[in-house]
Amino acid sequence: MSQKVPAVAAFILSVSFLFQPLLAQERSRPERIGGKPNLNGIWQAANEAHWNLEGHSAEAVAEFSQALGAIAAIPAGQSVVVGGEIPYLPGALAKRTENRAGWPAADPEAKCYMPGIPRANYMPYPFQIVQGEGDQILFSYTFANASRPVFMRDHQRAPVDLWMGRSNGSWDGDTLVIEVNSNIENTWFDRAGNHHSAAMVVTERFTKIDDHVMQYEATIEDPETFSRPWTIRMPLYRRIEADARLLEFNCVKFSEPLLYGEFMSRDAAAEANQ
Amino acid sequence: MTRHSLSWAALAATLAVAAPALAHHSFAAEFDINQPVQLKGEVIRMVFTNPHSRIFLKVTTESGEVQEWSIEGGAPNALIRRGWNRDSLPPGTQVTVLGYRARDGSLSASGGSVTLPDGSSLNATDTGVGAPQ
Repeated sequence: MSQKVPAVAAFILSVSFLFQPLLAQERSRPERIGGKPNLNGIWQAANEAHWNLEGHSAEAVAEFSQALGAIAAIPAGQSVVVGGEIPYLPGALAKRTENRAGWPAADPEAKCYMPGIPRANYMPYPFQIVQGEGDQILFSYTFANASRPVFMRDHQRAPVDLWMGRSNGSWDGDTLVIEVNSNIENTWFDRAGNHHSAAMVVTERFTKIDDHVMQYEATIEDPETFSRPWTIRMPLYRRIEADARLLEFNCVKFSEPLLYGEFMSRDAAAEANQ
Repeated sequence: MTRHSLSWAALAATLAVAAPALAHHSFAAEFDINQPVQLKGEVIRMVFTNPHSRIFLKVTTESGEVQEWSIEGGAPNALIRRGWNRDSLPPGTQVTVLGYRARDGSLSASGGSVTLPDGSSLNATDTGVGAPQ
């Protein structure tokens, strides 16, 4: 027993050292890391793009209005698509209509699937960028505990299609550019059924405006779904609360009544809802 | 942790999907080691899903009946380590699959070796669940 004491002390010591840089970070936040802009921090979009990338009016979600009233209403939003509209090919536009008709049950977000890129960046949840001087930058997302390493070298395609894709990063001056390939076809762009195929390649650009705001741009290329490449653009804001951190949102259990409700007892469904 | 192992860990994490945990099971729970089966057919499609990948196969029996089989394989991460990728089995590929039939008599099997038209083969065995290696 007594032999365990030094081990426990060492563990506590190492954990406290682990957190020390985080505490120190807000106090002395370097402007640049390894000669590049410091993107570390917790970031979040503040817009309505997660409802619909395109411009849309406010509307009620009829099936929930009776229970939730105005809480269940969709807020209006301006388009974040450069030029306003997504240039769908005719067949792909029909697929969006079908997706919309099946919402919310058809939405991968309702099923707690990992959201993919670019959707993960403008969901109404914060995400964290962990940047050092090494060869990878980590993006960690609240929703579904999703994450993606951004490979600054060793650019390649993944052997199979992935929910969060394969992120190949580089710096274009002070802009972090990430090409995301190997995207699985099952993710959506928003709650409005906007979608893509496995041929999609996303080119993201993160450019700091000041230490609290960066401009985010993502260009979508997918000749199987769209008639030409198109771009979304929006600011992302840094959460500056002194104790800002990602909190757990393990949505698996929240999705189970929707996915498996017919197999669950009423008690189990109620428990999953808690 | 080396860069290599970090990237594989990240890949495994990225492949992890929420729902299919319900479908994870041991070999013996679903398949019968006493019912080995050899299937020759055409790949309809292959999906790299966790915890088991799946090959859908169109098989024409000696009597001319066309059957659609579902062949369960190992997890994507295990298969990728053995050389599988998204281009391994494009739809239309003629393959011979050795496996073990499902206990419930359905047109499904746990896959072992998959032989390609050029005579080479890939191993789809699900490891760690008690499947015969």
